[in-house]
Amino acid sequence: MDTITRRQFLKATGAGALGAAAMSLSIEEIANAAISRPLPPGTPILVVVTLYGGNDGLNTVVPASDPLYQSLRPGIAYKPEDVLPLGENLSLNGSMTGMHSLWNRNQVAIVRGVGYPNPDRSHFSSMAIWQSAIMGAAKTGWLGRWVESQPEDPMLAISLGSVLPPLLAGNRRSGSVLPLGGLKVPRGSLASDCIKLAIESQGDNLLQSMAARTMRNLFTVSSDITPILQSPAPAAPDLPTALGGNAGGETNLSQQLDIVAKLVAAGAPTRIWSVSLGGFDTHANERGAQAILLGVVSQGISKFMSQMRASNRSKDVVVLVYSEFGRRVRANASDGTDHGTSGPVFLLGERVKGGFYGEQPSLSNLKSDDLAVTTDFRDIYASVLEKILSTPAEKILGNWKGRTPLFI
Amino acid sequence: MPMASVAERRRMARLVHRFGFGPRPGEFESLLSKGFEQAAEQYLIAPASDAFADNQGSPVVSDQGRRPAPNSPDVVAYATQKRAQLSSLTFWWLDRMVLSEHSLRERMTWFWHGHWATSYQKVDDALPMYLQNERLRDHALGNFTAMSSQMVIDGALIFWLDGQTNTVKAPNENLSRELMELFTLGVNRYSEEDVKETAKALTGYRVNKTSGAVTYNPRQHFSAAIKVLGTQRSFDANSLSDFLVARDDCALFITERIWYRFVSSMNPLTDTTLISSFASRDIGALVKAIGKHASLDDPNNSMVKSPIDWFVSAARALSITPSKFSNPNSITNYLDQLGQRPFFPPNVGGWPADQAWLSTSSAQYRIQFAERLVREADLSPISTLAANSRLDALANWLAVPEWSNRTKMALNGAINDPARLTILALCSPEYVVSA
Repeated sequence: MDTITRRQFLKATGAGALGAAAMSLSIEEIANAAISRPLPPGTPILVVVTLYGGNDGLNTVVPASDPLYQSLRPGIAYKPEDVLPLGENLSLNGSMTGMHSLWNRNQVAIVRGVGYPNPDRSHFSSMAIWQSAIMGAAKTGWLGRWVESQPEDPMLAISLGSVLPPLLAGNRRSGSVLPLGGLKVPRGSLASDCIKLAIESQGDNLLQSMAARTMRNLFTVSSDITPILQSPAPAAPDLPTALGGNAGGETNLSQQLDIVAKLVAAGAPTRIWSVSLGGFDTHANERGAQAILLGVVSQGISKFMSQMRASNRSKDVVVLVYSEFGRRVRANASDGTDHGTSGPVFLLGERVKGGFYGEQPSLSNLKSDDLAVTTDFRDIYASVLEKILSTPAEKILGNWKGRTPLFI
Repeated sequence: MPMASVAERRRMARLVHRFGFGPRPGEFESLLSKGFEQAAEQYLIAPASDAFADNQGSPVVSDQGRRPAPNSPDVVAYATQKRAQLSSLTFWWLDRMVLSEHSLRERMTWFWHGHWATSYQKVDDALPMYLQNERLRDHALGNFTAMSSQMVIDGALIFWLDGQTNTVKAPNENLSRELMELFTLGVNRYSEEDVKETAKALTGYRVNKTSGAVTYNPRQHFSAAIKVLGTQRSFDANSLSDFLVARDDCALFITERIWYRFVSSMNPLTDTTLISSFASRDIGALVKAIGKHASLDDPNNSMVKSPIDWFVSAARALSITPSKFSNPNSITNYLDQLGQRPFFPPNVGGWPADQAWLSTSSAQYRIQFAERLVREADLSPISTLAANSRLDALANWLAVPEWSNRTKMALNGAINDPARLTILALCSPEYVVSA
């Protein structure tokens, strides 16, 4: 697989946008990146899975045997026999069979009670805090700042979908975006004219130079990636075809992860991938809706990990799963939950030291009806930056001291 | 007439692209010849009548009732009609944006759609979305107290934010939180206790999902006094809305939001005296004050055209009627790909701004979309001209202040091919960004 892909990189480069070689960013640079450093095996890769809407942590990592849990949310609580035991009186939501089997292989770290001081219950403010790792108004994402700390390379960090998440936004440079349908680059004379539009011009303001840059990336990123996207997804040989309860129905998240799997297996020189799933804002009729979503997450990730095992990249990939906040402990009258505070964060992969981290927030000691925050999310980011992205955390997070020893 | 300076052209281009949806052929030159003061007077006040909008008629939407049982014989006709209704509503609005004689009212209706952002994704019926849209239009430049008071009892909005499941016994906070955070006051200008309390004031409203009709049942309403932002009294949805809108934070917040969408999403509101033009909650007065404000002379306040801004302004220049397009669905498909389709905001916070619209992916779809549009465009504003006058004409046609050397070079390469020339101009950084 690796060799074929490298050849594809070469071919695509030769056939594609050689005209761009005259531009300030040379196509050779990226071709060379794909050939000379097609991400050498052993280079860690981060896959960030953002769950939009505020995932209910208490029904994800479930204290099912805690009588307080049962009495605080009677309409939506799970019985111990409906969930998958993890130990320490906690269990995984019953729909997450794939992730449960990874847990049993010691490849899942669950950080409990993750949040930040004075939790903000606004989706937008809280997601901005999580994605920027800055309290208050921020214009850049933590991984966007990482991109800017690296030599320019549009392949370095890629988000699936058509809109750039704040996570990957930098001041002058940002991560790239890859639409699910792949990229269709103009050809012929229109292409050579568009490439001319992709040069930054002296009079450009910040946004105009970014617009030129995205046009340029369209030609560089797409000529490298398109051939890979057209190849079949790597097989997931050790995975049963039907996973518990969630048979059928291609979901958007699994589609995104399939593309990431192809590109990672191909050796794309990409260190960060960003994928997402929405719909976690379960103010009403939560149980069924959340279980379906968590099933999609679990099935998508376990299939992805299996594809990685078939591709020799399984030792390199770390998956980070988070949401902007957890939800209220008590259910509301619509059998849903309102916005809350802390929640669990998942890290998966062979580099991860499986097990629990952080203290489970106590149900008998709620802070004005909400779960306490026992781990700051920046502890996790700092460890990810240092161990997975090989970058001093100070460069990205400022003077942040906390760490979570998640990795082998 | 003396040639307008680049600064004058930029000021005028901002007026037409941000407070309208870009010029029609000839309009930019005519505004320039009037000068900014006169152009702004004309542009920033919506006349009572509009030659297109008054005669357009309504979209074909009606109460479809409940969905027939799966596999029943009626379900296919029902689903077909449902799709047709959404399409009728969508193209009715796109036509209105493109063809209205005066753009400000549709521009503001669009702004409010992103403010009270409600998605068909969950509402799933065209009629309530249409009723909300007309409500937003009625109040688009009117009084915000009246708008908010109507919106808190809007069927689509209540359904979207689970207001129909909000009961005295266990209030649902979704609507109450967003009412304060996103609709009236702004984040953190209230406490978590206020969220819990205001949820009680919003109990007792029930929505008929398919018609959008809202009924108030006093027996299901929490009528005892609650404490909101330090005031203890009893509230219903309307009096709560009036109470919130009367607060100083509301004037600040709405001014900030209009600033964010019309002046800059990156540079915060600097001149707080603007807030006073919203003292009586007169939206039209605030928009006019912002439209004439000196900050719009500042070159730093550039903005990226959102996909709707880009498409509608292109359609106006190219004389394209969305509903008459040979395959109208291709328009909504491209808007979907670009991430902005009317009636489908991504979440209750509305659409993102600026940088989010600049991605490799949007660069790609913009080129394809431009190619598609140009095939059905009237290119006569440039095709009838000699090659050596085309670049200047193109800048006026599309209301671009000036072409950079980079773009001139690209355009000159296509100067003899009006279609390709237009595609490139529409995809140039100077058009994609409202400089």
